[in-house]
Amino acid sequence: MTARLRFLLISLIGLNWVLLLLSALRHAGALGGALDGVGPAWPTLTAQAGFALVVFLYVRQLPEPLREQDFLGLLRRLVLGPGLLALAGLGLGLLARLVAAGWPGLEPGLGAAIYTVNLGLFVFYVARVNYAWRSLVLFKSRSVLRRGWPLFELLLGFGLLFVLLDQAVPLALMYGLLGALSLFGVYLSANQKWVAYLSTPQRWQAMGYETLILGGLLLFLAYFRYAGRADAHLTAPAAQQAFLLLTASFAAFYAAAGLLVAFFNLPTSVVFEQRRAEVLSLQCLMQVIQRGQTAADIYRVLLESTIQTAEAHAAWLDVEPAEGVLASPPPAAGRYELSAVQTQALRAAFEQQGLLRTEFWSNDLTAQAAFRGLGLPHRSVLVQPLATAEQYYGTLYLLKNQPNGYETADLTVLQAFTSQAVLSLENLQLAAASLQNQRVQDELRIAALVQEGLIPKKLPTDDWFDIASYAQAAREVGGDFYDLLLLPGRRLAVLIGDVSGKGVTAAFHMAQMKGIFHSLMQPNPLAKTERTRYPVPAQFMTQANAALAHCLEKSSFITASLFLIDYENGGFMFARAGHCHALYYSSNQEKVEYFQSPGLGLGIIRGPGYEKHITNQFYDYAPGDVMVMYTDGIVEARDGAGNEYGEGRLLLRLEESYYRPADEIRTFIMADVHAFTAGQPMHDDQTLLVIKFKLAQPQV
Amino acid sequence: MKVTAQPTGPVQVLLLDGELDASSAVVLDTELSKPELLKFQKVLIDCQRLSYISSAGLGVFISHLQRLQDADVKLVFYNMQEKVFNVFEILGLDSLMTIVPSQAEALSA
Repeated sequence: MTARLRFLLISLIGLNWVLLLLSALRHAGALGGALDGVGPAWPTLTAQAGFALVVFLYVRQLPEPLREQDFLGLLRRLVLGPGLLALAGLGLGLLARLVAAGWPGLEPGLGAAIYTVNLGLFVFYVARVNYAWRSLVLFKSRSVLRRGWPLFELLLGFGLLFVLLDQAVPLALMYGLLGALSLFGVYLSANQKWVAYLSTPQRWQAMGYETLILGGLLLFLAYFRYAGRADAHLTAPAAQQAFLLLTASFAAFYAAAGLLVAFFNLPTSVVFEQRRAEVLSLQCLMQVIQRGQTAADIYRVLLESTIQTAEAHAAWLDVEPAEGVLASPPPAAGRYELSAVQTQALRAAFEQQGLLRTEFWSNDLTAQAAFRGLGLPHRSVLVQPLATAEQYYGTLYLLKNQPNGYETADLTVLQAFTSQAVLSLENLQLAAASLQNQRVQDELRIAALVQEGLIPKKLPTDDWFDIASYAQAAREVGGDFYDLLLLPGRRLAVLIGDVSGKGVTAAFHMAQMKGIFHSLMQPNPLAKTERTRYPVPAQFMTQANAALAHCLEKSSFITASLFLIDYENGGFMFARAGHCHALYYSSNQEKVEYFQSPGLGLGIIRGPGYEKHITNQFYDYAPGDVMVMYTDGIVEARDGAGNEYGEGRLLLRLEESYYRPADEIRTFIMADVHAFTAGQPMHDDQTLLVIKFKLAQPQV
Repeated sequence: MKVTAQPTGPVQVLLLDGELDASSAVVLDTELSKPELLKFQKVLIDCQRLSYISSAGLGVFISHLQRLQDADVKLVFYNMQEKVFNVFEILGLDSLMTIVPSQAEALSA
């Protein structure tokens, strides 16, 4: 409604009221002169009709008086605003009477003026009340009612016409309209849905306000009757006041109906509040999951809500100790008005009856001997387990002092609560498992990155050997490592190994071994001979073992083999610390064989004494010889039937390919391994190193 | 894998049945971690029905070696299948642990 229209309405109200005042004064003979006396009634009537119409129109377009579900606020504003104003008006009227008693000369004019003021206030009051009732009637109403209200207003509008139509109103029409409006009014007054939304104290307040509103209307009625009796020309015949009477009647009728509805529904409000509390508790329980609370919180909310809903005098939530992701300190005493001794006795009694972890309900506990012996003051009990088909979380016991304290409906409500709690617990578990899974995925990714970084990118080259490598990590990082160092004096150090375990820790130990290798393979400046310039393999292993002893995990160990190949001497030294035996083709003996040498893995003996378990081996090589180093991922690779590739096959493949260059040997062997496994998933890292000794160019 | 304990006087016999992989290694670890185990003079591991051992399984045995040694409890393996013994041998555990062919020898070891 635009400001301009509002201004127009207010102006019309003002104008009409002034006209009313003038005509009232004229009637009372207070204007003086030719204007006084009884003249045609129609100006007054028109002014009255006009005034009522514009006031109602104005109030009709005011913003919705009901805010959200604040019914009491609506009633209070009605009483305090227009109500007090109206009361003030009546007070003024009373004052006028007193004044008139003292100054008779003022009487006619003052009385008429006061009367008009009160009429104005009354119309405004009735309009406000009626439109407040509209908000209440239409609160959550069906569309039928919404369409009905404008019809009601239309009929009331006809009533307004009666004011203008003086005596020309056919009786039938009048009674017809009256009848229709009365029925309509009664029908509308039956719509007191808003009362159901009030709590008990709120209903008392509402009744109070309605009484005041009714009182106000009655006061006005009394006033107008009194004024009418005192001064005949002030009021018009009933038919002409039809509109005001009808609206005032509806206002009063609705208020009275509301009063009665609120009063007679007081006992039922208790039930309504209970149901609402149940729903709110259930909502609270559901929110607990969303806020990411712990299992302990869920149990606490469950216990509190069910005690309240079931109106239990004592309760106990027997929680099954959880393991895994839900493991947390047990909820601090899930007991209510029961001692630990009593709960233990209760559980024992149930167990004895074979009723542990089952639904149970008794309205007379003392009827059973087992429970009588407990000495508990309670007579009714509800027992509900919290469980799914797969898992049992706990049991809820609710007790009441009086017998017959529970009925089927209570068990149903309790089940709703426990189901919701179980759902929340399951959700918690799932969320935790998912998080755990995410962590594992992240760990594997990091480990794979580390491993990728540790693979030697460039293989050393020289004219006296050929190296080919193959390294493939399994999906779950396995721990294979290898490294090669070309040392001064035409020496080659080759390290190969396997860390037990998987994941980030294996990757770290791989990095550690690489570091140990690089740092130990440094020339010793104080060495007296060439032999002692670099650590011999057994020494390397002993030192590596000592370095690892401090940080290797309890049940982890590392296998490794270190070869120190010396071109000048035409031979090599090696130590095998628990690793797979190297495969060797000797061109002199024209034989392919596995080396056999003792040697304990690293990280098994963590203190001194390891050096007794590792030895140096010596071997002279010849050009044309081939050495194959590998990890167990190759010989333990399985085919579809579960057979392992095995050392046998590896040996045969080398026998078939030793004469070829190193890279071809490597490719040949790996092709055979892949053909063997034929698409089976890889369970362990596979690493293969092929070193072929060549006829070297004489050094310049 | 199933672990069956058969205590006979001062000797505890642990019968391993199945494959000792990463998950069953946890079961074995629990069994070997029991404090009562240290009260025996000997702990014999019957490996007749042990068909496979992973590095996790080996790690469990390795990790309890020192503890048993400190408590003067002798750990003896017997009736090991060839494949499983091979694994122990490559790692060099045959020089560290007592592995014998039969139960009789195990009892007298």
